[in-house]
Amino acid sequence: MNSNNTKKIAFKTLGCRLNQYETDALVTDFDKAGYQLVGVDESPDVVVVNTCTVTNQSDQKSRTTISQAARANNNAVVVVTGCMANNFKEKLESQDNITFVVENNRKSSILSLVDAHFSGEILHPEQLPQDVFRYEPVRKSLHTRSAVKIQDGCDNFCTFCIIPMVRGRAVSRPVAEVLESVRKTIENGFKEIVITGVNIGRYEDREARFEDLLAQVLEVPGDFRVRISSLEPDGFGDRFVQLFSHPKLMPHLHLCLQSGSEKTLLRMRRMYDVEQFRKTINQFRSVYPEFNFTTDIIVGFPGETDEEFQQTLDAVSEFNFSHVHTFKYSVRKGTRAERMENHIPEKIKTARSAQIRELSEENKLRYYQSLIGKTQKVLVEKATRTKASGYGDLFVPVEFQAKDIQKNTIHTVKLTGLSGEGEKLVLVGELVPN
Amino acid sequence: MHLIKHEIKIDESFYKIEEIRQLTNETFSLKLPRARFAFKAGQHISLGIHGDYQSREYSIYSGENDENLEVLVKEVDNGYFTPKLRKLKTGDLVEIHGPFGKFGMEPKDAETGKFVFIASGTGIAPFRSMVRTYPEIDYTLIHGVRYSTEAYDRHEYASDRYILCSSRDQKGTYTGRLTGYLKDCTFSPETHFYLCGNSDMIFDALEILKDKGFERDQIHCEVYF
Ligand SMILES: Cc1cc2nc3c(=O)[nH]c(=O)nc-3n(C[C@H](O)[C@H](O)[C@H](O)COP(=O)(O)OP(=O)(O)OC[C@H]3O[C@@H](n4cnc5c(N)ncnc54)[C@H](O)[C@@H]3O)c2cc1C
Ligand code: SF4
Repeated sequence: MNSNNTKKIAFKTLGCRLNQYETDALVTDFDKAGYQLVGVDESPDVVVVNTCTVTNQSDQKSRTTISQAARANNNAVVVVTGCMANNFKEKLESQDNITFVVENNRKSSILSLVDAHFSGEILHPEQLPQDVFRYEPVRKSLHTRSAVKIQDGCDNFCTFCIIPMVRGRAVSRPVAEVLESVRKTIENGFKEIVITGVNIGRYEDREARFEDLLAQVLEVPGDFRVRISSLEPDGFGDRFVQLFSHPKLMPHLHLCLQSGSEKTLLRMRRMYDVEQFRKTINQFRSVYPEFNFTTDIIVGFPGETDEEFQQTLDAVSEFNFSHVHTFKYSVRKGTRAERMENHIPEKIKTARSAQIRELSEENKLRYYQSLIGKTQKVLVEKATRTKASGYGDLFVPVEFQAKDIQKNTIHTVKLTGLSGEGEKLVLVGELVPN
Repeated sequence: MHLIKHEIKIDESFYKIEEIRQLTNETFSLKLPRARFAFKAGQHISLGIHGDYQSREYSIYSGENDENLEVLVKEVDNGYFTPKLRKLKTGDLVEIHGPFGKFGMEPKDAETGKFVFIASGTGIAPFRSMVRTYPEIDYTLIHGVRYSTEAYDRHEYASDRYILCSSRDQKGTYTGRLTGYLKDCTFSPETHFYLCGNSDMIFDALEILKDKGFERDQIHCEVYF
């Protein structure tokens, strides 16, 4: 263990943006309390692994990360939290290499737990308060943009999804708290805020719905921009579309389609159909022709026929998503889909996944090409002495030549071409002088 | 340090089974004490058996103002959960989470709207809750079953509002699948449709209603399996 009094802490995060946000918030807590943030390979005194359990792959990844972190840091306090801590609590608690297993709803109190541990107190995670919003606004982050959590949990019970079991029912953070968190985050220097939660479209705080909250966030004074993390395509009206005319709200949405087949969508217990999805996309594009849509698709859902898969391909083509996050369906224990008939062989899933990926790359190329000659306001995330890169308003990656540009500043860039290919495709451009 | 505190409601609890009503050989209802449990007609709960790690969702079968909380369960051959539920006795404990879901209507719409409820099998459960909650509601209930014995609690519905479609006997209002009946129906344009049951029935019914010119926004679905 570290000989001087400053304790070193390392974080490992797996999974979604919400998890990333929660890690960022923990980093802020520990930083404020005087802990030193280090890498896992820099002999930390504490390692926090924030796990994910959304797919089988993420289970495996979480397990590997825990054992690697524990093995590399023999004497460290190892805290495991995140969705896996809920789903496999007892199993994890029986592992010798883990000091504490903290469930999601107690995650925000990890600092108290670790502090208590170092002061010799014996505290069990179950004694920590349960509160999914008890986070400090992010001060120190591992990223340029910071997420603000507005909601947790989901009770849609989509048949493939473990979230309702591991994150619990939907709860919304009161408007005043969200606005306070936004203000603090901006004061802490962030230029971009990402509105985050498990199913944020279901936000509900007394009379306030998601649109009402968003409108108020946009009115918070300051020089910042707002993005929305992934969204369920769940009945948005004209008001939502209209909000995107606000200069602070960035014209990109990650709308989770999951499948282009009506039958599959019903078996998934999704709450919309392809026609409603089409209506939303067209509504946006009729007002903002360049609006960027990205999505999630699950391939090989139980019972997915060739014809149903073809309908998904058709939808991906038609809706012109610039990026598709493709998931091969994997069984989550305890979900309804686990018990469905006609599970699809892995080989077919892999082939379908490759087809979607190929189509998605064609879409991306076409979309990025259509932007050449236009300008984007780029928030710089990486900068060397001669080059800078970051994301434009449309959430497209942009690189440009520039001398001594600072990270976390916004610059107007004229897009002139493309570089790289496939997943690594980026737009290149020239700095437009102010 | 500025900490944002927010109370979280703990929504899990154990309920003692007060009564079991056997409705057919396979289907029964569990009556639980109402206690503090508040819900909206159409919502469902997640039900667990003490000591078992699995749980299942069940629509609430009773009305918002009924004395008991009730669920309707069909024992599924080779199912995991329902054979265990079937073995429970009066006095045994079940664990309940919820209520969940948005399947339902606003009270003011229930008073003024025109509703068509379409159910297969135990998919009738949320509609009984709605009809008991809003006794004045203007509805037609189309219930698809295999045998007319599966017309659970049919005496509770006005005979001119309840249409039984039985596919394997001749004792229903209509003999055949409910989709066959639906094809020949006409409904006024402002009707709200609520569909509940298995996804194949819901898919077919949706297609029929869309063909008749109804918008997806006026059709609400609750998929059981
Ligand atoms: C929101 C929601 C509400 C529900 N409400 C009810 C309800 O009010 N009453 C009810 O009986 N069930 C209801 N269900 C279904 C219920 O949750 C279980 O799936 C069902 O009881 C079977 O559980 P099992 O473990 O015995 O079967 P499993 O081992 O899970 O086997 C599942 C298979 O059984 C079949 N199956 C599932 N449900 C039914 C059913 N109701 N009738 C005939 N076959 C079925 C399907 O083929 C399914 O693949 C609801 C489901 C959802 C998602
Ligand atoms: S909406 Fe569906 S997929 Fe999304 S978190 Fe809820 S249950 Fe999971």
